[in-house]
Amino acid sequence: MAILLFISILLIAACGLIYELIAGAVASYLVGDSIFQFSTVIGSYLFAMGIGSFLSRFIRRGLAYRFIWIELIVAVVGGFSSSLLFLAFAFTQGFQLFLYLIVIVLGILVGLEIPLLMRIIRHRYHFHEVVSHVLTFDYIGALFASILFPVVLVPQLGLVRSALFFGIVNGAVALWSTFLFKEHLSVARRLQAVCCAVIILLSVGLVEGKRITGLAEDNIYADEIIFSRDTHYQHIVLTKWKDDLRLFLNSHLQFSSRDEYRYHEALVHPGLAAVPVPRHVLVLGGGDGLAVREVLKYPQVESLTLVDLDPEMTRLFSTNPFLTGLNQRSFLSPKVHIINADAFLWLDSSQDFFDFIIVDFPDPTNYSLGKLYTTVFYSTLAHHLSRQGMFVVQSTSPMFARKSFWCIVETVKQAGFKVYPYHTYVPSFGEWGYVLASQHDYTPPTSLPGGMRFLTLAGLPSMFDFPPDMAQVTMPANHLNDQVLVRTYDQEWREISH
Amino acid sequence: MKITRRDFCAFGSAALMGLSVKADRAISGSFVNDSFQMGHLLRDRSQFPAAREVVRIPAVIVGGGIAGLSAAWRFQKRGFSDFVLLEMNNQAGGNARWGENQITSYPWAAHYVPVPDKQAEYVRELFTDLGVLKDGKWDERYLCFAPQEHLFLYGRWQDGIEPEIGLTPADREQFQRFNDAVRAFRASGSFTVPMERGWSSKYADLDKMSFAAWLQQNSFNSKLLLWYLNYACRDDYGALAADTSAWAGVHYFSSRAPEEKGPITWPEGNGWITRQLLARLGKFARTGQMVHRIQRDGAGYRVYAGKTEYRCQCVIFAASTFLAPYLIEGMAPLHDFQYSPWLTANLTLESMPDSRTEAAWDNVFMDSPTLGYVDAMHQSLRTFADKTVWTFYWALAEGPPAANRQMLLEKDWAYWKEAILHDLERVHKDIRKCVSRIDVMRMGHAMVRPVPGAIFSPERKKLKAAQGRLFFANSDLSGISIFEEAQFRGVTAANHVLHVLGKP
Repeated sequence: MAILLFISILLIAACGLIYELIAGAVASYLVGDSIFQFSTVIGSYLFAMGIGSFLSRFIRRGLAYRFIWIELIVAVVGGFSSSLLFLAFAFTQGFQLFLYLIVIVLGILVGLEIPLLMRIIRHRYHFHEVVSHVLTFDYIGALFASILFPVVLVPQLGLVRSALFFGIVNGAVALWSTFLFKEHLSVARRLQAVCCAVIILLSVGLVEGKRITGLAEDNIYADEIIFSRDTHYQHIVLTKWKDDLRLFLNSHLQFSSRDEYRYHEALVHPGLAAVPVPRHVLVLGGGDGLAVREVLKYPQVESLTLVDLDPEMTRLFSTNPFLTGLNQRSFLSPKVHIINADAFLWLDSSQDFFDFIIVDFPDPTNYSLGKLYTTVFYSTLAHHLSRQGMFVVQSTSPMFARKSFWCIVETVKQAGFKVYPYHTYVPSFGEWGYVLASQHDYTPPTSLPGGMRFLTLAGLPSMFDFPPDMAQVTMPANHLNDQVLVRTYDQEWREISH
Repeated sequence: MKITRRDFCAFGSAALMGLSVKADRAISGSFVNDSFQMGHLLRDRSQFPAAREVVRIPAVIVGGGIAGLSAAWRFQKRGFSDFVLLEMNNQAGGNARWGENQITSYPWAAHYVPVPDKQAEYVRELFTDLGVLKDGKWDERYLCFAPQEHLFLYGRWQDGIEPEIGLTPADREQFQRFNDAVRAFRASGSFTVPMERGWSSKYADLDKMSFAAWLQQNSFNSKLLLWYLNYACRDDYGALAADTSAWAGVHYFSSRAPEEKGPITWPEGNGWITRQLLARLGKFARTGQMVHRIQRDGAGYRVYAGKTEYRCQCVIFAASTFLAPYLIEGMAPLHDFQYSPWLTANLTLESMPDSRTEAAWDNVFMDSPTLGYVDAMHQSLRTFADKTVWTFYWALAEGPPAANRQMLLEKDWAYWKEAILHDLERVHKDIRKCVSRIDVMRMGHAMVRPVPGAIFSPERKKLKAAQGRLFFANSDLSGISIFEEAQFRGVTAANHVLHVLGKP
């Protein structure tokens, strides 16, 4: 009997610490600045425990009964704490309010537990034994939890389900306590029913955990998530680790702030610097404003039109300080016109002409995106190019998806253009490819704008040279009615990931 | 607080419900484009009001479906404009009608034209006029986008409608043998589109038996093969293989080269063609004009429609031929014209159902009595579509057509709504959460049914020839209801009229 009692103490302590760790971790994941988050969460939690200990003096009668009720409330609040915090972040403006409210409520309740427990069992042991046993198991529980949390719980269950799992443990301890303290309880059966209900509720939550938040994605991203939003069109996630800011759209990496300059300098300048007088530039996709940042290095550019599907994306990159720091507030330039529209439809109905067009769409991972890599799409682009105009297409990796890359090259060619494929190395992506296209011959630029971090005139010729492992392979063009590209791309990337 | 066992259960299930059940949408809709009433007025030989005006005009086209519109197109191209086209419904197009809502336009019936080969010269000429065929190349915007067809079987989707999952070696052998047989028929040159081009009595014997009987005779008994062939007959003829002439069954597979390009299609299906033709020919069309009597008048005719009497020299009868004995004075009843009843529905989807596979253009379910659905947004250039319209096709192929027609009339909209959702739910469990509206179109005589004997019927042969200065032009003269036949018959009738009237 004694050992069972002390195991419950151990578990109660572990639960208490887990909820505290979860609150700290969720706050760091969502808001960032983990030192501040952990420090304030732990501080307010401990303080609230103190309040709980203080309040325990006002509980005079029915100690065991009240203890079990407290356990049950802790089980529910603690079990759903992580889900509530994710939902609060996604749907309310008051995340911090919810965070500290939950931390304080849990702290007070957890602070009540040990003093009540000590008083319940005070008749079974001497006072000095009670203090010694209870505190010993309390601290062992804390150690147990603090090791379990980073090693097993977060990697295996994630934050949402870890909390729910420990809520169930809490509920189980409550149920167990109804047997341990049977002699103190007059209405054990009623309490047992409530305990079962709580355990069932939390178990349902555990099974449905993903649906509750839609954020159970802790396993996908290596780094801490600082922003996560489901827009009408896509799932935007920003992660940060030290100075590395990464953008994911529908779980596909779009850039890493450490090396995006390589990708964007290579995307924009080999083509744009070769256009004699680039006055009007169009960017299709590129809602991060990073290609726009590069285009604004040309003072001759009078107008820059950016067409991106998702208004939340362009708003985010116009307002968030992290992100406007990265794109150098490019969206706020008076030269820039942002249009939130479906690129193919917009292009099809537009009458405008451009001297340079940057096509920076996500990779052709499905048939919908694949439409943006077809002969019809590139023929439509032709109607919007000025006489000396050129366009460039981001074209996935000629190394990892060699057939897909050369399929895009062939598609542009069959749409009636001369093609100039090139590639560069971007550490976070690997070897990356582009296709420059024009109806006339391409002469490489003789000067580049100032401020290049990567691109040099001397380095340009090597970009147009494809070593044997990336050399051209014969591929058919990608057509709307036969999207060979989407099938090839799927196959090639699947081979890489196995 | 006392918790009873019942409270406890209620609490538990309430918690479960709250987490897993989203509310279904309220679904609105109605029957649309009903034409039963008008048809029954004719059938019952009701009294129509007397004509108040007389219009003298050299030619009248009765019926504004593809046959009638094609006749008008031919007239216009030959510089002849002294004609009028009378359409009973408020919207022309017949089986190439379309609808439109805030999301997209969508078809009401026929939704594609296979890429025509050289023999379908009129189809190629029309598509050249409409910009679909340019310098010998098909505009890829009008070729069906990938992925084209999906079949749902064994709880998953596969590419293409010909079953490829779970075939035994015996199934494969039969598919192979069937394809070999089809290749031989195709090589004979007797099965063409339009069928007049390859017309010969060489295979007339095939018309004497049902497709099912022919399959049995040739030891085709693979369940998967028979499902597939029955699907084809239901799709093109609204009939089971057992009710289809073997000649027609063979024609379905042997009349076209196996194509790689995918059919030609538009969001509104063949409604796009109607739209384009009406843009050019609309001034000749009178819609909502039901012709109720056609009378010989010397060498010419009197055509009564609404309050107008048209006195003309020639008539092109492009409406369904089964109507003719009710309209044309003195015409004997017909015996060889049978029709399949159909139901089509357009479902407005406010959100997309959860599905691991990207939807194709045409989505078919194995072992369903229906023909599945076509996604109207599929042929959009959009990369992101969160709303769409699905056109749901259901040929009432099982059982006698007359009984099915009666059922179409008797069952209310709610019945069909439930039947359609029930069928879709087998594949899309959350469909009720996505659909906001279901409009249902009932067609008692949707398409001609090529029953055994229909193709080589002497009655058809007689009606294909001129009846004085009256020319029949509906696709049902061919015995199969497809765009190319309708267009061919319409153009051919127009050529006859121009010849009779002495136009160059």
